[in-house]
Amino acid sequence: MRNLLEFLSKSGHWLLFVFLEVISLVLLFQYNSYQGSVWITSANAVTGRIYEWESAVEAFFSLTRINEGLTMRNFYLERQVDQLSRLYTEATDDTTAAERYGLKLLEQYELIPAKVVSNSLHREDNLITINRGRADGVRTDMGVACGLGVVGVVYMVSEHYSIVMPVLNVNSRVSCTIRKRGYFGYLRWSGGDPTVAYVEDIPRHAHFKRGDWVETNGYSSIFPQGVPAGKIIQVYNSSDGLSYRLKVRLATDFGNLRDVYVLSDKSIAERAGLMEAARDSLREKGR
Amino acid sequence: MTTDLIKRMAGFAALCLAQALVFNRMHLFDCATPLLYVYLIIIFPHNYPRWGILLWSFTLGLAVDTFSNTPGVASASLTLTGAMQPYFFSLFIPREAPEDTAPSVETIGMAKFVFYAAVLVFVHCLAFFTLETFHFFDWLHWMECVGGSTVLTVLLIVTLESVRRR
Repeated sequence: MRNLLEFLSKSGHWLLFVFLEVISLVLLFQYNSYQGSVWITSANAVTGRIYEWESAVEAFFSLTRINEGLTMRNFYLERQVDQLSRLYTEATDDTTAAERYGLKLLEQYELIPAKVVSNSLHREDNLITINRGRADGVRTDMGVACGLGVVGVVYMVSEHYSIVMPVLNVNSRVSCTIRKRGYFGYLRWSGGDPTVAYVEDIPRHAHFKRGDWVETNGYSSIFPQGVPAGKIIQVYNSSDGLSYRLKVRLATDFGNLRDVYVLSDKSIAERAGLMEAARDSLREKGR
Repeated sequence: MTTDLIKRMAGFAALCLAQALVFNRMHLFDCATPLLYVYLIIIFPHNYPRWGILLWSFTLGLAVDTFSNTPGVASASLTLTGAMQPYFFSLFIPREAPEDTAPSVETIGMAKFVFYAAVLVFVHCLAFFTLETFHFFDWLHWMECVGGSTVLTVLLIVTLESVRRR
């Protein structure tokens, strides 16, 4: 017994060292699994609040530039809506159809406005923290976009904050299509320059040209159809030569991200319920 | 004892916030990020209990991790640095120095202090970036990160040290 005590007092700190290292490594590996704890991330209440104060100060200095961008975009979209509704009315003689359809497109989605409280660009697995959480209706796997385009997908949620996996994360995949041409692939980022990403798996027979827009395709219900992702700036062959790889200038300016909105698809709950019911009935049968 | 604890806690909070709000945003030449919080571990006096240093390093690492969304990375590498610190510092202590000698430019001299700090910072950066990348597919970039961050952190530590002396 005395020997044991002596041993502990002499080399107890080595045991402590091993113990603390094991805890760290467990944290390191557990976080990589999808359902990590939000306590030790910037989504917990204390760090979230500190980052929120800081971004409030920072927001002051970048408002002008962001407003300019949004005004431009707004102007462009207004023109487009105007033009389209005029064309539609001419074609169908139905004066209210455009408005009715316009509302219907977004009816399925509920927009939750949020502010970015922390953001990184230079790592491989960049993450964004926003100031809306479970209490505001945010759930994991919801899409996040801003006025200019796609931002990412909600990855972890705490009570009042959430962490978003942006397009600028090597693990992120967003299903995309080339506007008006229909071919689809997925958008991924391979590190480095935070203004360009790649669209992969575009079939060899696809027709498109540089300068075409890439947008979300709405297959996954994370994003509605038509949220811009970026503009094609260069075309490569994939490494196996079976498809095209498009270099895309991202529409979203991640270095200057402030106001975003979370897209909450009302039918997600219904789909999840259906999935659950299907699983239950399978389990019943299994017995 | 209590004033020492309060001082270290203040240093803890200051270094942690500085890391989260300033230094984590810095990427000189796309590789060098200062990891200044190692400073808190470097300046523990010779007679400070070893388990104490370990607990401080782990907690500080965890706090930094929490801010930068890298759970386990900073805490594992800082705990390693904290385990090495007392052994490594004992190599630099002059013979007749009192028990509670703390590493600083005054006690061991400029050249020795820079060398002592550089080695500990290097160990920390090496462990930190190895755990962060974890796969060596881009070993050149990994080496740049370790080297660049070590140099930058040591420069900042020497600056901080000379400001504190006044």
